[in-house]
Amino acid sequence: MFSEFAALIVLLPVIAFVLTLFLGKKLYSGGALLPIAAIAGSFIISVGIFSEIFPTHGMVQQSFPWFAGMNIGILIDPLAVVMLMMVTFVSLLIHIYAVGYMAHDPARPRYFAETSLFTAAMLSVILSDNILQFFISWELVGLCSFLLIGFWYHKPSAAAAAKKAFLVTRVGDVLFLAGIVLLYVNMKLLIDNGTLVMESRSFILQFRTMFEAIPLIDGTQLTYITLLFFGGAIGKSGQFPLHGWLPDAMEGPTTVSALIHAATMVTAGVYLVARTFPMFAATPSTISTGVPDSLLIVTYVGGFTALFAATMGLVMNDIKRVLAYSTVSQLGYMMLALGTAGTVLGAKAVGISMFHLISHAFFKALLFLCAGSVIHAVGTNDIREMGGLFSKMKITAITMLIAALALAGFGLPFEGLGMPIMNIGTAGFFSKDAIIEGALEYGEVTHDMIPYGFAVIAALLTSIYIFRLWFMTFTGKPRSERHSHESPRVMTGPLMILAIFALLFGFSQTGFYGYVEKNFELMDVNIAVHEGEAFHPSALVILLPVIVGVLGLLISYIIYNKRMLDMSKLVSSGNPLYKLLYNRYYEPKLGADIIGVKLTHDVVARSGEFIDRKIIDGLVIDNIISNTLLKLGEIVRKLQTGVVQNYASVTIFGIALLLIILRLIFGGT
Amino acid sequence: MSLYSYLLISIIIFTIGVYGIITQRSGIKILMCIELLLNSANLNLVAFSSYNGNATGQVFAIFSIAIAAAEAAIGFAILVALFRLKDTINLDNINILRW
Repeated sequence: MFSEFAALIVLLPVIAFVLTLFLGKKLYSGGALLPIAAIAGSFIISVGIFSEIFPTHGMVQQSFPWFAGMNIGILIDPLAVVMLMMVTFVSLLIHIYAVGYMAHDPARPRYFAETSLFTAAMLSVILSDNILQFFISWELVGLCSFLLIGFWYHKPSAAAAAKKAFLVTRVGDVLFLAGIVLLYVNMKLLIDNGTLVMESRSFILQFRTMFEAIPLIDGTQLTYITLLFFGGAIGKSGQFPLHGWLPDAMEGPTTVSALIHAATMVTAGVYLVARTFPMFAATPSTISTGVPDSLLIVTYVGGFTALFAATMGLVMNDIKRVLAYSTVSQLGYMMLALGTAGTVLGAKAVGISMFHLISHAFFKALLFLCAGSVIHAVGTNDIREMGGLFSKMKITAITMLIAALALAGFGLPFEGLGMPIMNIGTAGFFSKDAIIEGALEYGEVTHDMIPYGFAVIAALLTSIYIFRLWFMTFTGKPRSERHSHESPRVMTGPLMILAIFALLFGFSQTGFYGYVEKNFELMDVNIAVHEGEAFHPSALVILLPVIVGVLGLLISYIIYNKRMLDMSKLVSSGNPLYKLLYNRYYEPKLGADIIGVKLTHDVVARSGEFIDRKIIDGLVIDNIISNTLLKLGEIVRKLQTGVVQNYASVTIFGIALLLIILRLIFGGT
Repeated sequence: MSLYSYLLISIIIFTIGVYGIITQRSGIKILMCIELLLNSANLNLVAFSSYNGNATGQVFAIFSIAIAAAEAAIGFAILVALFRLKDTINLDNINILRW
């Protein structure tokens, strides 16, 4: 019954967008209730569809021809339905929270309209049934992120961050589009020579047709296509080397950061790779035996990003920047999971990656909303000026601690110790452990332990930076004279709900894997698994993620709470390593200044300006076209004397002439 | 009198009006000439009406006279306003709408 209303999942927030944009000023609290109601509606429909297709392992498919050779449609398979529920749920909570957070902003109608459209665009990405529709929605997500990052556009830094986000993700988007074009060319070729038979040409870029064609497409071409897709994912999900826009995107309101980082934007890249996973898994193995080339690259980009971003998270002083690097790092984990587990476990990798994506969405949204609550109370982003907030903001402090524990992956691995008790832990414990285990198994099978190394070291750093953040914010003595208070109920409510999910979501692990990994079987796609020797990790290895998590907590506790170690020597501009990290590996300098300003602006844009101004405008237009027209005008304008009699004389003369001509032509007496 | 003589008078009045509009410089004189034009047209209407034995033309002429009265009122009001602004109604001096 709900399946018939699948299109409403996207349409409701779109309607809310239009209404809020035009009527928001006249409605209660800037029209916040419209998007909230619309997204609540989307959430209810999503859950309804889930309850319908879950027992039968079914799918919802609706598709119509759109224009020449393309279709528009809805595909809700297990992968999409879990994403739909997560996005609508998290977005709903963030919207409710924003009622409190944005209470004093005069531009609220614009804010709520844009976040509503943002959510709609992401939902449309999720339930697209073909890659073109996916791409269009993907671009809409990019547009909305631009609008929202630059929400306070009168701040130059926010305007610059919005521009950076738009331009950097654009690099990925162009690659993605190139991938689609290449795929289309290949598919068309297959259809033209009769290898691929399909009912209607308008379904050429549907995911189903794409998967059908996998065995028919040339392997090298498939590698190019998937790598171009992955280029899009790198841009959207902030992977190295296109990660720089994501920390800068902190210039928007904190609720926007929460939306971007948890629900509506960066996960789109991971979702793209998960969605087209059978294509990645089918690429030939030329670099490393048994490992599909594309998955190898996904593994290394993801693993490196996970570690790379975590190192920068260690030294940032802006509460939101730390969280931003954390997101980049965690997205790296998701990519790593798709790459490593995809090689050794096949379709199960999608389950592992999506499980981390969703548990990450809960605790990262929670972290951001807590950070927003702190910023709302203290009025600064700098954790050096915070401290001692625990007694003043108990709910925020405790919920943020829960989120930090989830991010660091705390839990009790009873099963790993051989005890007949179920594992108990936070959501991050279940989801991250599975990824690290997958990386280990990948290492055992392919004798390549580097991804595993990335994952474990990054886990240690994650734990250090997140507890550094927590200790510096909530414990110790207040380091500045600021009046702080707990946030209103409308803000703490969503925090508590998210905290419950960050704590308990992990227990759905087995069911989740079982459900999502069937996704591609439903579409009759088989994913090859790289076979290797049977693998039984030792107890120490199983415990390692938890051990490094606890270790990180202890290190942070000693340094930032007890202040037993003097860090001033390390944390100073004299230390080259600190300088490197603090300057974010000189990425802003290299990316924005050299590539952005020097190359793009000074070389490309200037030469374009030269051609346009001097050659086209200067020679062609100035000399030939405009000069002729100007001279003609000089002559004709003299007719306007401003003397009424002249006009009257001309008019009468003209009429007389006309009468004479008519008389001559038609005759008469 | 035949229709022809009415039309002849009408043409004479019309030509005087046109001549006046082109040659005169005073705004009031031009307005008066415009009235002449209108009245020559009215004369035509009435003459044809009487010739054809049809009252429509005469009714039309009455409308036309009413409108001419309104037009004259507006025209003189404009000239009064213009005089207050520029201290002249010589149209040669009022030529700012030009190149």
